[in-house]
Amino acid sequence: MARLRNPWGRPRFLVLVTGFYILWSLIPVALAVLFAFNDGRSRTTWQGFSTRWFTGPTGSVFHDPALQGALQHTLFLGVVCVLVATPIGVALALGLQRWRGPGGGTVNTVMLLPLVTPEIVMGVALLLLFLQVLPGIGLGSSAQIIGQVTFTISYVVVIVRGRLVSIGRDYEEAAADLGAPPHDQLIRVLLPLLAPAIIASAAVVFAISLDDFVVTQYLSGDASTTTVSMLLYASARAAPTPALNALATVALLITLATLGLAYLVYKRFASSDDAAAMAGLEV
Amino acid sequence: MQGEIHLEQLTKTFGDVTAVDGIDLRMPGGEFFTMVGPSGCGKTTTLRMIAGFERPTSGRIVLDDVDVAQVPPHKRNVNTVFQSYALFPHLNVADNVGFGLKYKKLTKGEHRKRVAEALGLVQLGDYGKRKPNQLSGGQQQRVALARALVLTPQVLLLDEPLGALDARLRKDLQVELKALQAELGITFVFVTHDQEEALTMSDRVAVMSGGRVEQAGTPREMYEEPATLFVADFLGVSNLISADASPDDGGSALRVGERTLRATSGAMDASGEVKAMIRPERVGVEAQGTTGENRLPGMVERAVYVGSAHELHVRIVGGDLLKATIQNDGSTFAYEEGTPVTLYLPPDAVRVLAPSGGAPAEPEA
Repeated sequence: MARLRNPWGRPRFLVLVTGFYILWSLIPVALAVLFAFNDGRSRTTWQGFSTRWFTGPTGSVFHDPALQGALQHTLFLGVVCVLVATPIGVALALGLQRWRGPGGGTVNTVMLLPLVTPEIVMGVALLLLFLQVLPGIGLGSSAQIIGQVTFTISYVVVIVRGRLVSIGRDYEEAAADLGAPPHDQLIRVLLPLLAPAIIASAAVVFAISLDDFVVTQYLSGDASTTTVSMLLYASARAAPTPALNALATVALLITLATLGLAYLVYKRFASSDDAAAMAGLEV
Repeated sequence: MQGEIHLEQLTKTFGDVTAVDGIDLRMPGGEFFTMVGPSGCGKTTTLRMIAGFERPTSGRIVLDDVDVAQVPPHKRNVNTVFQSYALFPHLNVADNVGFGLKYKKLTKGEHRKRVAEALGLVQLGDYGKRKPNQLSGGQQQRVALARALVLTPQVLLLDEPLGALDARLRKDLQVELKALQAELGITFVFVTHDQEEALTMSDRVAVMSGGRVEQAGTPREMYEEPATLFVADFLGVSNLISADASPDDGGSALRVGERTLRATSGAMDASGEVKAMIRPERVGVEAQGTTGENRLPGMVERAVYVGSAHELHVRIVGGDLLKATIQNDGSTFAYEEGTPVTLYLPPDAVRVLAPSGGAPAEPEA
């Protein structure tokens, strides 16, 4: 109808749908965050504002040992996963980009497989691997890290390769032409140009690690390897208090802060580089 | 003279595709040498092999008597100006120019002095602190030039360096580049697809096609004595006559329709169907019915007034269209469209062309 009236006008119907979708997806999150600040024990009835579930003396995120342990373990897994997956992913991306021989296509497809494999399949497969093939490692933190690294590497490869493709080979060739040996071509030219993509992929890896439930759950050992997502799942049916909402809120904030920070750094780098056709954060 | 390059049987294949097909070229030291040809002719691949970015499949690249074909690019005393400039976006202009000096083991003072000199050479002395993306296309081009020249290479390779600039800037930079080359006296190997650029800037030109060198020589030789049809066509002198040739008393007899033309330059030994060319300014236009040797009847199809001259497009017997240029000397113009005329084609101006890819370039001597 709007089309008949004014073809240059704002597409109202699209605005409406978009607005509705944004509200629909944000309301549950907003509600969960809201009840993290509930003064009572209920997660459904509002009883006034308080921060007791964050900082209160008992049963709060900062004082309950179980909640605190879960938060610490989650952050630990996230940091280690970033430190392991990012360098390996960058190296793989560089290697795949240079790969000229046969089999390049196959390796490319294999790299993308973890992105499309259902996580539950991945989790079961990894569980079997650690139980049957590599019992020496066993379940627990090491298995969780290896599991998370296994599928987060793919994200790093995809993001970094996107940037590599848009950079092209000219800069490396220019560096070689000016006398830089291969090592210097990498350090002085390629890595600085890849920095935005590397930071972006580290942030994505961290966020995915924080959010991950299936693989992390399958490969967990004792209670000390419980993460936030596992705790949320396990106690959702027990006797949940708003402390769980508070825990989720903290995890959410960390994720958002990571992505926000990565975005800012990325933009700063990107603005100093006119060739803005880079792999975005939203891969 | 330093900076002399000999390419010997240089070949590069990518899978089934032969990009460069056994070329031999001699690029004298200190000269402005241009490789010109349509896209896909192998000129850029040849340049990239000289730079070291592509490894030749076979053949030799002899730089000042040393075969460098298997030397990696960072160890060759050859520098490149890229078509995209490839200025490092994360470094400012001075750091871009100083990038390669790091490998020259200079003191800080020397380093700074050479960067300043190089920037001065391209008239960008005050731009050291800027980032490449704060410069115009022409300025970026100069930085790329300074970054290569600061290393005092024996040979500078330029891969369509003016391709991304607008026409006017292009003209200015053509003149500057040529002057710079003359001043520095180093070998420039220039790649372009623009035949005019090739003719006006170079000491020597090689026209390439299909991975081979069609002909190499001075711009004058190339323009006035193109060896092959392709060269004549590519260099913009495609005033062609289809004829049936037979060798005749040190010249060539060309049968065109009912008439016979005598030609005394080009491929004198050719026989059978050939193309012959004549430059528009050598075609004499005479009134209809004029008789004599080497004359063909025709009909003016178009008359184009270009200011200093008239350009006539004359359809001759046999169906070919010949261009003829008549200087505008102020006299009354008598050849309107549709006028029957007689064309006089002087024997020494009619050049018989070898078919493309035929005999090796003969006017080299």
